[in-house]
Amino acid sequence: MEKEELKKAIYQLIEQSAGKKKYKQADVIKHFRQQGIPDADTKAAIRELIDAGDLIYTYFGGSYIELGEKRKGT
Amino acid sequence: MTKKYDTPLLDELEKGPFPSFVTEIKKAAAKSAMAADELGQLEKSFRDKVTYWKHGGIVGVRGYGGGVIGRYSQLADKFPGVAHFHTVRVNQTSGLFYTSETMKFFCDLWDKYGSGLTNFHGSTGDIILLGTVTENLEPLATVLSMNGFDLGGSGSAMRTPSCCVGPARCEWSMIDTLDITYDLTQEFQDELHRPQFPYKFKIKTVGCPVDCNASIARADLSIIGTWKGPIAIDQDKVKDYAKKGMNIQEEIVNMCPGKCITWDGNTLNINNADCLHCMHCITKLAGALKPTPPFGAVILIGAKAPFVIGATLSWVIVPFMELKPPYQELKDMIRNMWDWWNEYGKNRERIGELIIRRGMREFLEVCGLEPTPELVREPRNDPFWFWKEEDFEKKPWEEFLK
Repeated sequence: MEKEELKKAIYQLIEQSAGKKKYKQADVIKHFRQQGIPDADTKAAIRELIDAGDLIYTYFGGSYIELGEKRKGT
Repeated sequence: MTKKYDTPLLDELEKGPFPSFVTEIKKAAAKSAMAADELGQLEKSFRDKVTYWKHGGIVGVRGYGGGVIGRYSQLADKFPGVAHFHTVRVNQTSGLFYTSETMKFFCDLWDKYGSGLTNFHGSTGDIILLGTVTENLEPLATVLSMNGFDLGGSGSAMRTPSCCVGPARCEWSMIDTLDITYDLTQEFQDELHRPQFPYKFKIKTVGCPVDCNASIARADLSIIGTWKGPIAIDQDKVKDYAKKGMNIQEEIVNMCPGKCITWDGNTLNINNADCLHCMHCITKLAGALKPTPPFGAVILIGAKAPFVIGATLSWVIVPFMELKPPYQELKDMIRNMWDWWNEYGKNRERIGELIIRRGMREFLEVCGLEPTPELVREPRNDPFWFWKEEDFEKKPWEEFLK
C-alpha cells in the first residue's frame, strides 16, 4: 500500500470509530498489521498525520489518537 | 493587587517551620489574576473537601502527544482566572544543573505565558510550569525550543528520563548518569513525545546503590551503578572512625545484610564474594572503604507504587552491564521489552504488571536474557525455567554425564 493510501486508510479508521471506540497507536498498528502492512510503515504514516494536524493525541486516562483540527474545520 | 479572597483554611498551612506553597502562591497572586483565582478555588476545595479540577482532553502542542496536562476548572464562572490552568512539563537538564540566567529565563517566560507559579521539580523530574491557557501553548513551545529546551513526557509515553547528580558532584558515582540520561533522551525522542505504549514508562538512572533518585521504587526501568571489584579498605582510616567513637561492630558489621564483614578491633575484613553491594558500609565509612572497578550498572524492571499486590520495588534482570557509550546493549534491550509490552499489554497496564501476569520467564526470553541466580527474589518462588519438548530432544544431560 502506498503511503498516501495508508494515511487515508488510517484517517478513515479513526474517523469511522469516532465516538464509538478510541484507538491507541498500538491498536492502529495491529489493525493494519493484519492487512500485511509493516509496523514501521503504519507508525510513519501516523506520525505524518499527527504532524499535519489531521490526527491528534488525546488523553483520557491513557493516550489515544483522535481526529484533529482539520475535522473541526470541515 | 488587593487581596481577592479570604483563605482562612489555607492560612493554616503557612504556620509552622516549613516553607509554605500557600505563601508562594499569595506572592504570585499579587500580580497574577490566575494565581489569585487559584487560591480562591483551592480554599473552596478545602472547605468543600472536593476537587474542582478536571484534567486530560485534547489540549497540547501540534506534533506532541505529551508535555501538556490539560487542566480545567469546574467553577470557571466563579474563578475565571483558572478556567484553563494547564500544566506544562519541560524536559529538565540531567542532574538538574542550571545557570542563574536559565532560572531567570524560566521565571520571565512563565510570568509572560502563565501564572508565574513553577515547581522545580515535579516528582517526574521535569520542570513544572503551572497554569496557562490553551492559546499560549504553541508560542510557549516555540520560545522553549528557541532557547534549547523541549517539552517533557506525559500520558502513555516514555516519561522524561531522570538521574542523580552522578559524577558531576558525587564521588561514589560508578556510571556517568548524566550522559546516559542525555543519550537515552535523545535516542528515544519519538517514544517521549508520541505516546505509543499501553501506559507510562519511566527510566531513572543513579550512580550507585545509595539510589538518591529512588529509582528502585519509582522507575519502570531502574539503572543503578555498581561495581565488580573488591572493596578497597584503608585500615588506618577505619581505626580513626573507631577512635572517634563509631561502634564498628554495631554500626557496620551487624548491619551488613550479606554478613560478610568481620572486625577484630584492629582490622576490618570483607568477604567480597558474599557482598550484596548495598553500600551501607561504604557510606558509613566514607573515605575508608571504596568500591573498585570494573564499574557498570545493575538493570532492574517494574517498580510501581499502587500495584494490585501493593507497592513493588524493581526486579533485577541484569546483575551487571558495562555501560559505555553508545549504550547499544541497553537500548536494544529496552526496545525488545517495549515491543513485547506493546504486543501483550492491556490499556493502563505497566510493564511490571505485565511481567507479573505473563511471567518473568517469557520476559527474559523476549529480552534475550539468561536467568541467573541474582534474579531470584524469593527462593522456590521464581520459576525462570520450564523444560520444553525440544529441550529433552537435545539431551543436555549427556554432556553433563560425560
